[in-house]
Amino acid sequence: MSLDNLCRFVSSGKKDESVALTEKLIGDGTDPLKIISSLTDAMGEVGEQFARLEIFLPEMMQAGEAMAAAVELCRSKMLKGAVVESKGKVIVGTVKGDLHEIGKNILKLMLEANGFQVKDVGYDADPLLFIKTAEEMGADFIAASSLMSTTMPHQKEIIDLLKDKGLRDKYKVVIGGAPTTQDWADEIGADLYCYDAGSAPSLMAELLNK
Amino acid sequence: MTTAYRLWEIQDRSNTGPQMDEDDFLPKLFTPKLQEIVKKYEIKCDNSNPVPVDDEMSDRIWKAGWELFREVGLYNTDTHRIIKVTDDEIKEALYMAKGQYWVGAGKDAVLWQHRKVEDTLPPFCIYSGDATCDENLHYSQCLAYLKEPLLDGFCAPILEDSMGQKIRSAGPTEINGCTQHIYNMRLAAKQTGRPGTFFVAVGTAEHDSGQIAVSNNEWGVRTTDTRILGTLTEFKTADTLLNRVVHCAQYGCYTGNLTGPIYGGWCGGSEGVAVSLVAYSLSGLCIHGAIFNQHFPFHLNWGSNTTRELLWPISMAGQAMARNSKLLYTSNGFANAGPMTEMLFYETACHALVSTVSGWHLWEMASTRNKYRNRATPMEARMGAEVGHAVARQGMTREKANEIANKLLAKYEDQAATASKGSQYQECYDVDKAIPTSEHLDMFNKVKDEIAEMGVDFLF
Repeated sequence: MSLDNLCRFVSSGKKDESVALTEKLIGDGTDPLKIISSLTDAMGEVGEQFARLEIFLPEMMQAGEAMAAAVELCRSKMLKGAVVESKGKVIVGTVKGDLHEIGKNILKLMLEANGFQVKDVGYDADPLLFIKTAEEMGADFIAASSLMSTTMPHQKEIIDLLKDKGLRDKYKVVIGGAPTTQDWADEIGADLYCYDAGSAPSLMAELLNK
Repeated sequence: MTTAYRLWEIQDRSNTGPQMDEDDFLPKLFTPKLQEIVKKYEIKCDNSNPVPVDDEMSDRIWKAGWELFREVGLYNTDTHRIIKVTDDEIKEALYMAKGQYWVGAGKDAVLWQHRKVEDTLPPFCIYSGDATCDENLHYSQCLAYLKEPLLDGFCAPILEDSMGQKIRSAGPTEINGCTQHIYNMRLAAKQTGRPGTFFVAVGTAEHDSGQIAVSNNEWGVRTTDTRILGTLTEFKTADTLLNRVVHCAQYGCYTGNLTGPIYGGWCGGSEGVAVSLVAYSLSGLCIHGAIFNQHFPFHLNWGSNTTRELLWPISMAGQAMARNSKLLYTSNGFANAGPMTEMLFYETACHALVSTVSGWHLWEMASTRNKYRNRATPMEARMGAEVGHAVARQGMTREKANEIANKLLAKYEDQAATASKGSQYQECYDVDKAIPTSEHLDMFNKVKDEIAEMGVDFLF
């Protein structure tokens, strides 16, 4: 049984098998960091399949859960001082007054699949909650989703509050959601507009590395 | 309301129904149950046929949708409990549902009737761009839509600003915007000489407070009009949505149930979308007391429903409901392309043709995936309604509709991801007179001639 098998288990959403094989690989001396790196690559491929709708959201979710369980096990077995590389820390949420969360949840999955560390503040989230959570996490990004035209102003509120608190330069603000556009992002001074969840990881990584 | 006397028995289940954590509802209950049901009823999509002729499968989709709704129910995200109904309650609600309703008022009232597969009764046509628009264009757009002869019902564009202020959901500006929205609709209906037109209103209200503020038989949303009550995707609700159910029941207006199952999302593929459409219709009937269901299934990546993945479930779910119930349901088109493009007219024609022959009524047309401000006009809705009337009146068969749908798809399906945003309303309409530009009208007529060549016998 090999790392390739583990990647196959994770890609097909087999959580129990993934955990069992991870345990065995670590027991046999495989470096947990190497396992995490391989799984991150495998999930990246799963994410690409989902972006092309060769698989659907439930399959993507199952793969994500299998990956999370395997990674958690790896973290618990890592040598003291070893660090899992992260592409960036992100707060994701759907803005206040908006109860729609599928887009936000897909974004979270895609980011995690691509090596970002994500904290989800849920839906109907107050602008201050985004900011407080970002402060606690030491986040790089605040990503705010809106599905309704009348909840889009709450994306602007996050930016306004960051300015008022003197924190605007501390975070990259990313916006998205069905009614949002590049024009809206420009108007409110967001750092990045993502048309869809699939494009977000590469655009955000690029922005952070500028 | 068909089940008014059950209102509080159903509402109470938000407090007494089975408890489940929200994070578990979709991955652990909804999707596994849907996958199991799709397999059990042997539902299989062949999207080379956007209008299938398979009565046995459409009947199985009806049974599958019924079972899905009974087993999964509707999850209330505020109480973390599931509202569930029994087989007997579904049967009772279906028996109590009328197959027809008079909607609108006075001389403008229209009899809205259940349609069958390949019915010669024309579809009831609700015109709606489903888009937001500039405040200074809202009244003109209301006029433009209400000038359309085949319009049976009207849902106006959505305001983003009112009195120059950005509308913020649940705040005072939303109530102000909702008031402006319905006043514009009322004045436009009066000025165009159809004051009793059936309204679906008001789309500017995202929150219940905005909806409730404009219930008024004198100047606002009348009891001869309707509200649409949304469901969160998939099969979730919240108190702010259920507040509207109670308000509409007690105010006495009509209600429609608004749902958008997602292809590629928790429903999975086309089969899951078809089954979910039926299940949502039963949910709307039993839990919202809706007289009609307004469905806009859409593609996860594109946000549209004019490609094969979505036309198949639209057709099959429509046939399932037409053959097994007397429900009313509207097919809400979401196109990829924008106004004054030939592609938008092809997409709309295809969506309307597939829907009409499959038993649906029409709700046309969200252009550019209803994403961009001012990018919707009555002309695409006109195309949908004219195709719908023609298809019905000529008694088009599913086989013929399938043949034409494939020809129309060949015109645009490879451009779904890259479609043009087209023009804005003010670029393809005379805003003062609220009529299309000659260039826009010429394009409409050119495409209409092409579609006529394919076998659609337009009435005028």
